[in-house]
Amino acid sequence: MASEAQVLTPAVKKSSSSSTLVRVGKYTLVRLITLFVTVVIGVYLTILIANMGGYVDNIMRAEIQERITLQASQSQAWKNMDTETRQKFVEDKIALEVKRLGLDQPMVVRSFRYLFNALTLNLGRAQNMTSDSGSKTVRLIILERLPATLLLLGSANLILFFGSITIALSLSRRYGSFWDKLIITLSPTSAAPPWFYGIFLILIFAALLKIMPFGGLVDAPPPENRIEYLLSVLKHLVLPASALIISGLFLTIYNWRTFFLIYSSEDYVEMAKAKGLVSRDIERRYILRPTLPTIITNFALLLIGLWTGAIITETVFLWPGLGRTLFRAIGLYDIPVIVASTIIYAYLLAITVFLLDFLYALVDPRVKIGSGS
Amino acid sequence: MLRNRMMLVFSLLVLASMVLGACGTQTVQTVVVKETQVVVEKETQVVEVKETVESVVKETVMVPADVAPEMPERRAGFGGWLDEIVFSVVSASAAVTQIQAGAIDIYASGLSSNKLPEIQEAGFNYSKQNGLFYELTFNPVGPTFPATGKLNPFSSAKVREAINWLVDRGYINQEVYAGGALEKFLPITTQFPDYAELADVARKLEAKYAYNVEKADAAITAEMEAMGATKGADGKWMYEGEPVTLIFLIRTDSDGTRVPIGDYVSGQLESIGFTVDRQYKTSSEASPLWVGGNPSDGLWHIYTGAWSATVIDRDQGDNFQFYFSPSSAYGFSGLWQAYTPTEEFNKLCDDLAYNRFANLEERRVAFARALELSLEDSVRVWLIDGKNFAPYNTNVEVTYDLAAGIDGAQLWAYTLRFIDREGGLMKWGQPDLFVDPWNPVAGSNWAFDASAQRSTQSGGVMADPFTGLFHPLRIEKADVVVQEGLPVGATLDWVTLSFEPEIVVPDDAWVDWDAAAGKFITASEKFTQTQTAKVKSVTYYPADLYETIKWHDGSNISAADFVMGMIMTFETAKPESAMYDESRVSNLDSFMSVFKGIKIVSTEPLVIEYYTDAYQLDAEWNVTTWWPQYGYGEGAWHQIAIGNLADAAGELAYSADKADVKAIEWMSFIGGPSLEILGKYLDQAASESYIPFPDTLGQFITAEEAAARYSNLKTWYEDHGHYWIGTGPYYVDKAYLVEKTLVLKNNGYFTDAADKWATFGTPKIAEVEIDGAAQVTIGSEATFDVFVSFEGAPYAQADIKQVKYLLYNAQGEIVQVGEATFVADGQYSVTLPADVTSTLEAGSNKLEVAVVPLVVSVPTFFTFEFITAP
Repeated sequence: MASEAQVLTPAVKKSSSSSTLVRVGKYTLVRLITLFVTVVIGVYLTILIANMGGYVDNIMRAEIQERITLQASQSQAWKNMDTETRQKFVEDKIALEVKRLGLDQPMVVRSFRYLFNALTLNLGRAQNMTSDSGSKTVRLIILERLPATLLLLGSANLILFFGSITIALSLSRRYGSFWDKLIITLSPTSAAPPWFYGIFLILIFAALLKIMPFGGLVDAPPPENRIEYLLSVLKHLVLPASALIISGLFLTIYNWRTFFLIYSSEDYVEMAKAKGLVSRDIERRYILRPTLPTIITNFALLLIGLWTGAIITETVFLWPGLGRTLFRAIGLYDIPVIVASTIIYAYLLAITVFLLDFLYALVDPRVKIGSGS
Repeated sequence: MLRNRMMLVFSLLVLASMVLGACGTQTVQTVVVKETQVVVEKETQVVEVKETVESVVKETVMVPADVAPEMPERRAGFGGWLDEIVFSVVSASAAVTQIQAGAIDIYASGLSSNKLPEIQEAGFNYSKQNGLFYELTFNPVGPTFPATGKLNPFSSAKVREAINWLVDRGYINQEVYAGGALEKFLPITTQFPDYAELADVARKLEAKYAYNVEKADAAITAEMEAMGATKGADGKWMYEGEPVTLIFLIRTDSDGTRVPIGDYVSGQLESIGFTVDRQYKTSSEASPLWVGGNPSDGLWHIYTGAWSATVIDRDQGDNFQFYFSPSSAYGFSGLWQAYTPTEEFNKLCDDLAYNRFANLEERRVAFARALELSLEDSVRVWLIDGKNFAPYNTNVEVTYDLAAGIDGAQLWAYTLRFIDREGGLMKWGQPDLFVDPWNPVAGSNWAFDASAQRSTQSGGVMADPFTGLFHPLRIEKADVVVQEGLPVGATLDWVTLSFEPEIVVPDDAWVDWDAAAGKFITASEKFTQTQTAKVKSVTYYPADLYETIKWHDGSNISAADFVMGMIMTFETAKPESAMYDESRVSNLDSFMSVFKGIKIVSTEPLVIEYYTDAYQLDAEWNVTTWWPQYGYGEGAWHQIAIGNLADAAGELAYSADKADVKAIEWMSFIGGPSLEILGKYLDQAASESYIPFPDTLGQFITAEEAAARYSNLKTWYEDHGHYWIGTGPYYVDKAYLVEKTLVLKNNGYFTDAADKWATFGTPKIAEVEIDGAAQVTIGSEATFDVFVSFEGAPYAQADIKQVKYLLYNAQGEIVQVGEATFVADGQYSVTLPADVTSTLEAGSNKLEVAVVPLVVSVPTFFTFEFITAP
């Protein structure tokens, strides 16, 4: 490469860099448009699915009628109202609630409004939910839960990710060893979801040994001192994070180990071994480097995956995370919250996919942006 | 090789353990309870302003603006029993385990019956309260559905009635509810006052409709054949060449018990020849069909319904209209419009709903007949009165409400304690907390929030947890005057009931509110003719009210707090108001439909007259105290004033509806973005010594008092970080909204003795025994002794409403109903005359005694079997 560069004239260089710019620019534009269209389709589909194609309107209307009627009929004033007054009272209340939830407008109109608001990140107000602090602003509902989710999933997934890669790398060079076989044997344990282990961990460490809390973010009442508060949060983090890690650990190691094994048996690695290079150098230069794009991709997807939370694990541990918020929003058909969660994930995913293309080019000299190869 | 085999064995073991673990049943019950919203909270009052202003000001203990009052320490023997209560969120599935582990002392929300064995095995105490009550809802359209032309057997009242015989309620109770529920035949709650009052009628009907498959089959066969159906060779009902298929909507959500109920009933229907299409659906899937859809479409035949009653309802007469009549609140639904009760039943539904009776005896007769007709109609077949159970540790004592349990009882905060000591920290668990913003005017109405709020409030009266009657809490006494000819009675001696031919509303009574002028409108200003009312209640507060009762921030309660409550009843629903809220209009309209006037007779002591056309059967329920208890919490005038400023400025809204319309935050006094805005208006109010509605409240508040109140609230906020104050035995020390934790501390200002409500320890459910001859000669007199006791001591006659007996013959038919004769406290006798025993055939007969106490709405039944021989 270096000798080729020496023979290039400045004009050729200019032309080459100019064509690179055009290629990259064109690629960027096409890629952005494609991703945007994908996001639009994805979000609109989410809106349609969340509304069951408009059937949710029927469900919500029936729910409103039931709820308002029951509330009204159990009031003291109710018993002394005549039939007409009762009916008017209930009808007025129902009409107001229908209007409040926007059900007086056609579903199609609402769906496009949701879409536009979502795309412009105007997250708006929740229909039924409030944030823990009592706000109906979707942004606050999500932001309030984000730190807890990032803490739990971030710590668990980062430990899982880096821990499993490190172990897998080591195992890939000890193929057939006792530890390798042990990991393979234990890998089916990942078939059980994190909450499954969570329940066992709670039973053992909270109910039986009484050394860990049952759940929640922090002790009740929360310590006033900031350091004590932090320590309390960490104590509450141990069991749910462990559940997440245990659930994924062996299978993840097994996956990476198998992946690394392919590269470990490459000729150039054998050559390096024959040359007598130390293990660390072999791992870093000959195995890790060519696998870097895959590792980066996984890592990036892991990071944006944090956004979705862990619905059941959070529920089992009463962890105030985004997963539970989303779960509740789905149960309440709170479309703005569902759409907000989706659009943010969609944007994060699109941005990540977009940036990964450039990252590949940076870490792998074989990759050229927009070259079509 | 050996290692490989070991690995294989080990991996198989791991897999097997996971499979076995996953097969274990685990019930995770999510209880989402919304507290019933009381639509009309308060009504107006009228004040003789000129005479009262000075005395009110004098009565108010002034607190210097620059010296914030300090909450006194808890005094032994006064106020709440505990030093501190810490609320946290605990899932229902982990409740018992957490108590066992010492993580919590009490789980205050009811667990369903399937948790009862676990609670009992753990040896914990527990409350027993109403759960859901379950029924089968039938689609009555027919005989064929217009949309499909298919036969609907349940179009026949006789087929519906026969379902009562087809289902074994005892089996459902044992199998589905572990025996922890009650069998239910009637549209009234089995442990509520109306049932107790009509216990003999109820038992008679329960005996008539007892499980009897043969009887059900015979009745259904006769009707099916009359409708043109035939039974095929395979024993299946056919109509026009097709099997008669019943579409059964079985709910899968809620507490999950409707699935086994649905399956059981399906099995019973299949056993007598029906083909059943079991459609398992969630609430949201089923609702558009059974309540929202058109029943003529024939998309369903039966639905597993369930309802709830979270307060002791002393008048369930309106249940008939609600469940059986097109005039029901559910009249909007096509299903209810398809109901065709008989003319007699329909009239009774309406009469009982509106209490169109001259006296209580007339009502009783009508009620008994309506019960009978409801079973003949049976558009609903009632199955089970569910019970829930809230566990607490053995060292904990608390009074629970028979309907609302612990967390729903007004009394819980007054009675919760450790048995072995005064004081201490109680750890309280419940399924959720801080679900919606807290504000007294239109804040959260979730049961999970209301449970905590109750401890921070007192009130004019205290709800009796066992009878649903009221006792004086802050009021001293009350007079109730009722228009002659209305069926109203009194039970307790703190209320004086009288009747008058006409009740005139005074000309100076307040009858409306002028939001533009900020003044009340008197009767003489609004009407040209003298107004009358059906009920007048006069509430008397004690003379030392203003000295003894303080808000948590140290401010003494004053007449202005009461008047602010009256104003707010009207203000937000008036279009002229800066706080106008469209969603409040219907509430005010319904209130105004019965409201006749209010008058503050004096402020020293505080005496309030209230005039209304609304009346209840119990005089105790006709007392309106006007305690500053808004629909969703207590409110001090200065606290409401800053909320009003924020609402009027359009920065916050009391109600969720208005908040949505204006796209602003829903006001919260407990936390969140509201606090900063409220703080701003508190500063503004304090700087101006702001007196809200000056033309009215200005007569009750001085600028100095206003300044002192705002200063107190400011100090309160600085100490506790919120604006939620009340006069209850506990105050909110700290609220952690994201962490879902609440710290309540003892209110040192609270003056009542801690054991004031100690008499409400355990519900005095009577224990009954019968002693008598095991063999009776036909045609001779027979006497039986009845012993009624509670915890081993004779039950005082003063606490007994009635002891009735029912005599069943060998065929299980009731041959006589009568009243037992009082002998001594706890002892009664039943004498069966010779002419009665002569009607009995030789065989095994039953004498059942129903004891109905006055102090608890749960009757006790006891059955004694004896043999008759010639």
